[in-house]
Amino acid sequence: MRTNSPKKTYAAAALLAVCALTLSACGSSGDDANAPVAEVSAESGAAKAATVLDKPFEKPDLVLTDTHGKSYDLRKETKGKPTLIYFGYTNCPDICPLTMNNIAVAKKEVSKKLPKSELANLRIVFVTTDPERDTPKALGEWLKGIDPDVVGLTGDFATIQAGARTMGISIDPPTKGKNGKVTSMHGTQVIAFSPKTDGGYVLYGEDATVEDYAKDLPKLLKGEKP
Amino acid sequence: MTAVLALAGCGGDDSGGSQGAGVKVESAYMPQPVTAAMAAGFLVIENDGDTPDTLRSVTSDIAQDVTIHTTSGQTMESADGDDRAIPAHGRLVLKSGGMHLMFEKLKRKPKEGETVSLELHFTKTGPVKVEMPVKSATYRTASSSSSSSSSHQ
Repeated sequence: MRTNSPKKTYAAAALLAVCALTLSACGSSGDDANAPVAEVSAESGAAKAATVLDKPFEKPDLVLTDTHGKSYDLRKETKGKPTLIYFGYTNCPDICPLTMNNIAVAKKEVSKKLPKSELANLRIVFVTTDPERDTPKALGEWLKGIDPDVVGLTGDFATIQAGARTMGISIDPPTKGKNGKVTSMHGTQVIAFSPKTDGGYVLYGEDATVEDYAKDLPKLLKGEKP
Repeated sequence: MTAVLALAGCGGDDSGGSQGAGVKVESAYMPQPVTAAMAAGFLVIENDGDTPDTLRSVTSDIAQDVTIHTTSGQTMESADGDDRAIPAHGRLVLKSGGMHLMFEKLKRKPKEGETVSLELHFTKTGPVKVEMPVKSATYRTASSSSSSSSSHQ
């Protein structure tokens, strides 16, 4: 869908990075000063992070195991509550922790402005795509480093996969490579469910920032469109 | 843009510097990891020389294992030789959502404000030391907010 060539993105990234940072490697003699100063007019007005769906997803009927080893019925536990769901795994260095931290930090920022009662209902749910490695204990330890209030769910892979599929998220089971390393898949988006309808009505991609979530959360808490 | 860094990556004990140009490392950072089990690192390697080079490996005293990976769609795969090439007068960009360093089994969990030392090994250029600052878990470079950052082949 998005067709921007990664190369182009990288080049722009590098140029911008040059503006932001001054670094030098002293291996070479001092011609660094001649390094071109990049002038970049960044494309401002980036697209909105949130995608509001015309036809919301039904909340998947998932009964999994939480980080305390207890059965967790997603529909029952999150009924009538604003809920964010993301599928990922803890052995993931980049996107999974970034996504979860973005939400956690945004929640913290919003908590400074809103009464506690408004945030109390928010449910942030992290469903593992790598249940074999992400035991309740492993999930719990990982989430503690992000936000201990996040609900971490694990269980049978096929169940998780089927649940993800109902929301347009396709994940394959982890595979083990020749070197014994496991490759897992993370979901591509965070889905927000409305407290009014329990429908998944807003999607956030991987590039949604803390600011995006912080801006939208007050609306998501009420089931409004961001 | 509030973060202004001044960093020096020194070319080890290489005292001669027979060629003036070489590889330079910029914009290095590590988002504060969740646990000591795993961390990511990002940087830009600039080659202002006339010969292409390749990032062969990365070592760090903080981690048992540092590998080079690419987030490709929803999975992560080992970045191969072509991915790691640094063209003459070109650059290799390791950034969130794309190629990254993966630190595994860290001796301790690096915290925001600290720095992590690593050494980059190239096919041609001698080893380059990098002091990688640890940033917040949600740190983004100015460029990574680009709306196309999540597009992979």
